[in-house]
Amino acid sequence: MAPVTDALNGRVRGALTARLRRLRGFVDDTDPPALAIVAAMTLSLFATLVGFLAVSDLTIVPFVAFATSTAIGWVLYQEETAYTIALMMTVSTILILGLIIVFIFRESVPVIRYESATAFGVTVPGLRMFIQPNWDAVSPPIRYSMVPMIHGTVMVTLIASVVAAPLGVSAALFLSEIAPPTVREVIKPGVEILAGVPSIVYGFIGFTVLGPWASDQFQTTGQGSYLFVGIVVGLMALPTVVSVAEDALSSVPESMKSGSLAMGTTDWQTMTSITLPAAFSGVSAAVLLGVGRAIGETMAATVMLRGVPRLTEPLVNVFYGQETLTSIIARNYGEADGLQMDALFVAGVILFVTVLVISIGAQYIEWRMHERLGGEI
Amino acid sequence: MAGERRTDAKLVESETTETDAAAGAAVGLSAVLFALAVAALFERVSLTGSLFGVGTVTLLGGLLTALGVAVVAFGVGSRLGYVETDPDRSVGLVAGLGAALPWVVVGGSAASQTLGLGTAVGVVAGVAAGGAAFALTVLPCEDLGSTLPLGCLLALTGLVFLSGVIGPEWVWELGWTQQAAITAEFLIPASTLFAALYGGWASAKAYGGFGARGRHMGAYVLVYLNALSIVAFLLILVAYVAVQGLPGLLNGAELGLGSGPQTTVLGASVALPVSVPFVMNGVALFNDFQGVLPAIVGTVWLVVGAVVLAVPLGVGAALFLTEYAERGRFTQVVEVATNGLWSTPSIVFGLFGFAFLVPRFGNGKSLLSGMITLGFMLLPLVVITSREAMLSVPDEYRDASAALGVSKWQTIRSVVLPAALPGVVTGVILGVGRIAGETAPILLTMAGGTFLPGSQTVDVLGSFQFTTAPPFVANPALMEATSALPYQLYALISAGVGASSNVGNADEFRWATALVLLVVVLSFYAIGIATRYYFRRRLRHT
Repeated sequence: MAPVTDALNGRVRGALTARLRRLRGFVDDTDPPALAIVAAMTLSLFATLVGFLAVSDLTIVPFVAFATSTAIGWVLYQEETAYTIALMMTVSTILILGLIIVFIFRESVPVIRYESATAFGVTVPGLRMFIQPNWDAVSPPIRYSMVPMIHGTVMVTLIASVVAAPLGVSAALFLSEIAPPTVREVIKPGVEILAGVPSIVYGFIGFTVLGPWASDQFQTTGQGSYLFVGIVVGLMALPTVVSVAEDALSSVPESMKSGSLAMGTTDWQTMTSITLPAAFSGVSAAVLLGVGRAIGETMAATVMLRGVPRLTEPLVNVFYGQETLTSIIARNYGEADGLQMDALFVAGVILFVTVLVISIGAQYIEWRMHERLGGEI
Repeated sequence: MAGERRTDAKLVESETTETDAAAGAAVGLSAVLFALAVAALFERVSLTGSLFGVGTVTLLGGLLTALGVAVVAFGVGSRLGYVETDPDRSVGLVAGLGAALPWVVVGGSAASQTLGLGTAVGVVAGVAAGGAAFALTVLPCEDLGSTLPLGCLLALTGLVFLSGVIGPEWVWELGWTQQAAITAEFLIPASTLFAALYGGWASAKAYGGFGARGRHMGAYVLVYLNALSIVAFLLILVAYVAVQGLPGLLNGAELGLGSGPQTTVLGASVALPVSVPFVMNGVALFNDFQGVLPAIVGTVWLVVGAVVLAVPLGVGAALFLTEYAERGRFTQVVEVATNGLWSTPSIVFGLFGFAFLVPRFGNGKSLLSGMITLGFMLLPLVVITSREAMLSVPDEYRDASAALGVSKWQTIRSVVLPAALPGVVTGVILGVGRIAGETAPILLTMAGGTFLPGSQTVDVLGSFQFTTAPPFVANPALMEATSALPYQLYALISAGVGASSNVGNADEFRWATALVLLVVVLSFYAIGIATRYYFRRRLRHT
């Protein structure tokens, strides 16, 4: 253990000294007045952030200071000021992700405490949300179980993937390998536009047209089924799969494809035995990202589902749609307060963590593919 | 035998034989069946009625049987050497699984339901049927393997329809606690649809003479069909919303000099030559025609606010990542964070805005919170597209500029940024189209009433005022909840008809709102795509 921590300490220290050295280099290389301006900008922006986080009325004061110092810096030392601003903007993207994590986790703490349960003699906070299927925010015992919503999200996502993955990969193959240029110029924008149709419009059509039709076809009581929400969400995830998979397919070096074609194979043989295997990881990353989109899809699910958080009976009954993790937030935020609102944040945390893991996984897969194909990233 | 034939296979096969014509006809028949199935699924063709003097189900059954027999005939004919083909040793495992799947379903449901033998026997029968189909597909030569199991499946489906075992009145009660049933209305079109796909694939293979060319043909038929369906789906979707929404949108619309409301153009007051009350009015008791103007203006301001926030931040970050930073741990973390932000569900952004922004802007929903939330959503997209645009600027440009002895920032400002501008602009426009239609984030952060009167149309520029208490600048319009098109549509759906009775024909109003939203969002996309074409063509010419 000790050598490991020592090695880790050593690396951290090494990284820190490298940073410090670079900072010192920057300080040495820069004019003192420019340095003062940069320091003023950094400090005042930091103060603005602190003031904003503390909900202070006086936040405007450091902000004005920041604006003034930036203006002065822009006139006198444009080079350094531009660099500093760009750096701050970069940091802000990480900061936003950090803030999202902090705030949605913080809001969900009370209900996680409330829903503690004992397993093997150990009290685990939040466990009761996952071991019983009862969501009841009104009559005691008040319970906020996530099980029905997780079930709903899993059902919808599975159906959506069955729709989006084969259709999306096939459309990507078409766009990147098969289509003649003129056809491609028509279909590619078409797919992009498909991505732009707002989810609430899909939901509206699903609610007014698909819902009554499905309840008639399958003789269900009332409308709203996981099956059709899944299909609609799958169609919405389709453009994501198509565009990412197309990127992956076209990043396969042309020389590999022509090498295969020179052996006298058909185009389709080249696709199945060269292009698809070579781009396999990229294509699976595309499917993963599509799954991520499907998990996070909100409005279509909200208007098409029934809004009663319970499990369907039996569990595989896709002809009934109760509630998903996303739709419960959109439906209940209005009347919710206290613990119920916090429970909605728990649903948000589950969504956020799942999708973030999927996103990082997909990036890792894509990165591996680029490494293997030796292309530039 | 196949080996013998391969030796005398021609290098160029151009002449059309009768077999090719027959196989082509079979592909055409599959296309007809596919179209019929889609029409029946959406109740454009009645199952109980008749087509060309024959009952619909009987017609479907007859066509399916014919297609099945034709498919089997191609396989057997090729095997016996009547037809000149070039089959491989085996079809392959993927096609085997594809053929086994429908047989599992057919065998299982026939044993458990039609014969009433129970679930356990059904599972066994399904696995047995699927296994047999798999073996029949994979083991024999390719010509038999890819036709026999599928042809039998098609013929069986056709015969079931022809014999009336499954007629228009057929229902399968699933017997679940939550009542559900599979009706003939769904089953017949759906099974016809899949059968037509399988039939089309098998006959396309036969058309190509099996082997590599046959597989190429079979796959291309499906891939082309898929691409065509996606485009058709988009067109139908847009056309449907347009047809449904136009009556409501054009309610009371007038065209003619002086018919529109008064506006000020360049200081002179003129009356617009068109009047479309739906997009020029709010909702009020004494309006002749109700409209959604406040929601449109709300959407516009949301987009403006999000762009003002996200574009400088995103472009700056992309600039730093591509021009200043060395590739390393830091850039990697930023990349992961940006992509993570890009895939974060919109409702999570809404929750974040609710927890973080709303308490900081007067503890109520406000336009400003909505703007910032959407800005955060737009940010990753701007970073990603701007980075791509900057990376695609050739390094020669930078080197040439640096060789003139100018500083790095000057190179960036006068070489990199202008060269990357087209890409950045296109990316931003497309991103804006995406966020303009978002409902979930603004639901929790800014959305207020549904039927706003025209007097509540937000006027951000006119509402700035200075105050004596910190923060010294106030803008009530930014601090109020307002409406936006996507939210308006959501509220109209969830409020039901009762609450929206004050707009007259509620259904028309809703569809018109959906149409206006679609037009607004898609016009961003149209502009974005057109910009890209413009810049691309200009690049090609220079």
